[in-house]
Parts: sequence; structure tokens; C-alpha cells
Amino acid sequence: MNSAAPASPAASQPGWSRESGGQNRSGSGETGVSRRARIGDAVLGWACRLSAALIALMLVSLIVVLVHSAWPAIRQFGLGFLVSSDWRANEIERPLRDAAGKLVLRDGEPVMETLAPSFGALPVIWGTAVSSALALLIAVPISLSAAIFLVRVAPKLRIAGAASFLIEFLAAVPSLAFGIWALFVLAPFFQNHVGPVLQRVFEPIPGLRWMFYETVTVAGRTVERPIPLTGRDLFTGSLILAIMILPIVTSVSRDVLKAVPRTQIEGTLALGATWWQSCVAMLRYGRSGLLGAIMLGLARAAGETMAVTMVIGNNNQISPSPFAPAQTMASVLANEFGEATEGLHRASLLYVALILLTMSLVFNVVARRLVVGKVGGVSH
Amino acid sequence: MKLHLIGTIASATVCGAGAIAGEVRLSGAGATFPAPLYTRWVAEYEKGHPNVQIDYRSIGSGGGVKAIADKTVAFGATDAPLSEKEIGAMGGTDSVVQFPAALGAVVPAYNLAGVEKPLQFTGEVLVDIYLGRINSWDDPALQKLNPGVKLPKTPITPVFRTDGSGTTHVFTSYLGTQSPEFKAEVGVGKQVKWPLGQGGKGNEGVAAVIQQTAGAVGYIEHNYAVANKIAYGAVQNKAGKFVLATPESVSAAGDATSAELKGNVLRADAWNAPGEGAYPISAFTYIVLYKQLENIKNDNEASALLGYLRWSLGAGQKFSAEMHYAPLSEKVQQAALGALSSVTHRGKPVVIAP
Repeated sequence: MNSAAPASPAASQPGWSRESGGQNRSGSGETGVSRRARIGDAVLGWACRLSAALIALMLVSLIVVLVHSAWPAIRQFGLGFLVSSDWRANEIERPLRDAAGKLVLRDGEPVMETLAPSFGALPVIWGTAVSSALALLIAVPISLSAAIFLVRVAPKLRIAGAASFLIEFLAAVPSLAFGIWALFVLAPFFQNHVGPVLQRVFEPIPGLRWMFYETVTVAGRTVERPIPLTGRDLFTGSLILAIMILPIVTSVSRDVLKAVPRTQIEGTLALGATWWQSCVAMLRYGRSGLLGAIMLGLARAAGETMAVTMVIGNNNQISPSPFAPAQTMASVLANEFGEATEGLHRASLLYVALILLTMSLVFNVVARRLVVGKVGGVSH
Repeated sequence: MKLHLIGTIASATVCGAGAIAGEVRLSGAGATFPAPLYTRWVAEYEKGHPNVQIDYRSIGSGGGVKAIADKTVAFGATDAPLSEKEIGAMGGTDSVVQFPAALGAVVPAYNLAGVEKPLQFTGEVLVDIYLGRINSWDDPALQKLNPGVKLPKTPITPVFRTDGSGTTHVFTSYLGTQSPEFKAEVGVGKQVKWPLGQGGKGNEGVAAVIQQTAGAVGYIEHNYAVANKIAYGAVQNKAGKFVLATPESVSAAGDATSAELKGNVLRADAWNAPGEGAYPISAFTYIVLYKQLENIKNDNEASALLGYLRWSLGAGQKFSAEMHYAPLSEKVQQAALGALSSVTHRGKPVVIAP
């Protein structure tokens, strides 16, 4: 993820760059260090270059392989793939009907039509976008508050180290662990306790009926049905995402806020700002860096797979309700890739993977520019 | 997944045992659904035949068909019978042998606290649940099928499988026979577009959703439901009787189709089978070979392969019920052995060691 780590911190430290290494070399030659050491330097130098090239090569080959294997789907659906909401892997053979809905008959027998499998990514793009957005909505206020705490309150209490460690430790918990916790604790808790309360509060409010009812259209007949509150839905999926992106957003925000010059804060205080006002000023000063932190969180949320797959309900549909099951780009891959043997289905899944890769690449590049541009190098 | 893992460990142990002189090694690959049974068969067979080692990898039906077409395995296993195209890829009907090895059933499993007796379903009611027309357990249609059971006013959450699977194929094929509308709108296949409900990956995924969600109903393999003690219902068969999936009722469904099993490429749809005692959501699982065994190196291996397959169709069948699969009925067994007897090794008859 951090393959494009900024070179600036390394370059800014004397003795690390190639030039200064060269100086050391000539210097050491004078003091009589053997030829072997110089060969060692050269070997190490080239090994480093090779490793760096390998990482770049991996990304390039990833894109090449994805484009190549997604090609049948790209050719068949083109960019329409992004806006089509059909996702059906099976062929359907059914009696042909005319525009009026009447069966088309030939020699008294109904004429059959075959619907080829059809794929479109809109439901999964929707699921990814909405779940990530909801996750940010929940996580960002908490993260920013925690970052302010870490920078301005914790040092006074002498717990900055411990608090930072705990937050960073959260980032090291495998996503499967979050998923299992969400499946066995969070989802049943929502089904039994939170869901019914929310329903009792919000359902009577006019205009919020869409939250608890869905319409199902089959064969032209539309049925409205109550959405069963299962705790496995877009909302729980977003909540678990929020928890998972908290550490990265918090720790990058902390670094951004730490880099705010002391004179800035002291200046605001000197002008008579309250503690709260000076915090706001701090946030404003670091806003582009903070935006970068949020973008990094967004990239992680969009790509997160296992935990989301376990609680989002895995239904390729677009429902306005947060309590309806949904599907994200990552979860559709986790669900379907293993058994997708049919060519176009597999290619379509790889097309989804390509979209996901492009998206996270864009998020990461933008985030890095924002963070690095402002703070001059972040250690994450 | 778990079953797959056990299979992998088992095969790894088998490989690790090292080669003994005169030993024959065979490999098969394919369907995950019968994998626990096949693993058991192999273990039992190897007890009596220490010189034979068979390695079955459960990589999914699609993978099994591809592996046998590529000739990388001695036999393939698949839940769905070979399609015309797949038979063509293997050289046509004259060069392929396909026969059923066992039967499995798909059951409607549910999570309803306080309901002890197995519920009764009809195909029509299952269609209505999956199309969103029956939304609560106390729906009159369900109540009528289950007199004497107090059904709660819990909303129904239908659960489906998100990965392509033989289980979905059998279940949708059965629902397709029950409702032309279902067949025309949702269709039949290994993976379909369900209009509503929750998805889970694999039997274990669907089972997890059912067990965690009050009011959920989903389709899972019979043996998986039994092994994990998940409640499941009886389904009304073609003769109008409500039948629970048992080795006997599923065997009976297979038996009812035995007239269709002819030649060397056997296939029959065992769902919605006639007969008073037949369980309606049943299906065969198949084994696929080359008729001339051109993928087998020598006579020794050919002899061992046929020896094992004959044993599995005969003595092996008694393990099926124990593993919660259904054994082949007498008639189906004869048809399968008949198909197997047409196999030669590059035209030469194969002598089977006792």
C-alpha cells in the first residue's frame, strides 16, 4: 500500500543519500578499508535498486494481468458496466412475451427466448461508496477528537505513549478477528436490541418508511415487504468499517497535528483564543493533511474484505435503506471468485477488481499528495 | 471450507507416507459436496488394499471437470452432469463414462425458537418465500401446512448461497419445476440472481446466517444440516406426501429415475421425482472417466482404479448412509456398474485384482 513512500525524509538526512555515501567511500578508501567493502557497497546499492524496481514492477504487472483477464468483460460491457445493475450468472430460458405481455406462440407452442448471463457493477459500486461514506461519517469525528487528545491532552497526562500504542495496536488486529466479532457480537446485538429501537423511533416519522420497507419486483408484480432486521446489513457493515479505519485516520491525523508549528498555537492563544478555538485553528492549519488522512481511511474502507463480507448481507442490490443487505466490490470478489468458472463471469469479477484497484490507487495518490505536501513526510 | 481443509490434510498425509514398492497412486478431483464421503471411501478401501493410494481433492465440480478434460487426474467428480459441450471437449459420448456414485439432498433449514417438530413446506411456499410474497412465519399459507404448530409472528429472512454451487443448482432446479414464474424470472443455475434475502458463502456461510438470525430460512446440504444440528423441514413430494430427507427417501428419489439411466454416459434429474416415499429435493453426484482410460499410464493403475470404483459402487455404498448421504438403489447400482463395465484400457479389457 505504501509502495510510493516519500523519498524526502531519507534524502534530507545526511549520510543516507548516494552522494554522501560516495563521499564516505572516498574517505574510507583513504583510511584503508578494503576493496571488498566497496564491492559490498555496490552490491547492496544494486540490490536496493532491484528491490525498488521489483515493487514497481509488481504494481504494473497487477494492472496488466487484471486488464488482460478482464478483457472479455471490458469488450462486452464497456463503460456501461459501471452503471448497469444486473448481476446474473445464470442463463434464463423462458417463454417469449410480446410488448403487451402476451405469450408469443408458433404452431400452438410458446416460443422460448434465452437470456444470456449479464453483469453490471453498479450495485457493488453503490455498496462500496455508501458503506465507505457511512464509515467515514462515523469514524472521522472520533478520529479527529482522538488525535487532538493525543497531541494536546495526553502529553500533559503522561499517557500519550500508551494511548498511541493502543490505537496503533487496533490497526494490527487481523480483519478476520473484527469480522468474527461483528458476526457473533455486533450483528445479534443489532438484531435484538438496536434495530427494534431504531424501528420504533423512526418508522412512525413520515417520509422514513423507505428505511424499513423494500419493494421486490418479480414478473412485473411489485410487492412491498418489511425488511427483516437481521443485523447483517449495510449499516453494520459500515460500522465495522468505521472501527477498522479508526486507527489509520487517528494516527495520521495525530502526525499532521503534531506538525502544526508551536508558534501557530501559541499565536492563537496570545490573541485570546479559548482552548477550543485554538484546536479549531489547529485543525484548520492542518486541513489538507487531515483530508489526506481521511482519504487513506477511505482507501482502506473501500478495499476491506473479510469483515465486511461477514456482516453486510451479500446481496447485489441497490436499496436506499441502510438496514437492507448490500454487497461491496471486495465482498463480491470474496463471495464469487472461487467458483466462477464460466468465462464472462470470471472476467466481470476481474473487471470489478480492476475498478477497485484503480479507485484505491487514486485515493492513495491523492491522500499522499495532501499529507506529504503539507507536512513534508509522514512515517506511515 | 472446513471439509476441504480436512481433505487437504488427509491427502497431504497420504502423500507424505512415501512410496512403497509396487504401490499404485491415483488422483481424483472435483465436487466438494461428496468429498467427505469420498474421503471415507478412500480410507476404507485403502485398509483392504494397502498398495493403493488415492488422493481426492475437493476443488469444486467445475474444477473437477476441467481436471479430467486436461487429463491431470484419473477421475473427475461433479454434481452437475457433464454438458454437451463438456462431453465434446473430452472427445464425445463414445470416449466418456459418467455414472452416479451417491445421492445428496438439499433441505430447507430454519431458525425458529420454540418450534420443535419439523415444519412442512411445499415447493410453492418455498417459491413464495424466496420471491418475497410470504414475509412472516405466521402467514396463513405456512400455518395451513403446519396445523398444530404455533408459528410466531417473526419476519422471514430467506438466505441463499452467493458462490456458484451444485446445491443452488439442485434447489433452483426443484423450484423451477414448482413454478414456471420462478423458472422464467430467477431461473435455474449454479448461481442465480435472488430478488431478496441474505447471502452466505458455502454451506458454512449460509448455516452461520441461519443460526445467527431469528426467523431465517435457507437451503443447505442435508449432511451439513445433520452434522451441525440445524433444524430442517419436510417438503411435499410429487405424490403429495410430506417427506423428510433421509438416506431412504433420497435413495427412493434416485430409484424413481433409474429408467433414464442408459448407456455409458448416465444422467438423471432426481429432483421432483415421483413415488410416495421420494424426497423431492434430491440429486445424484457423478464420477467421470475416460472410457478408454487414455489418461492412465499402465495396466496396474487401470486395474486399481476400476477396482476402487467397483468397490465404491458395491461395498462402499454401506458407508453412504452413515455419512448422511444416500446410497444408490439396486437398480441405479446396476446401471452404474453397467456403465463402468464398458471401460477398457486403450481398448484392452481391464483385469480387476480382487
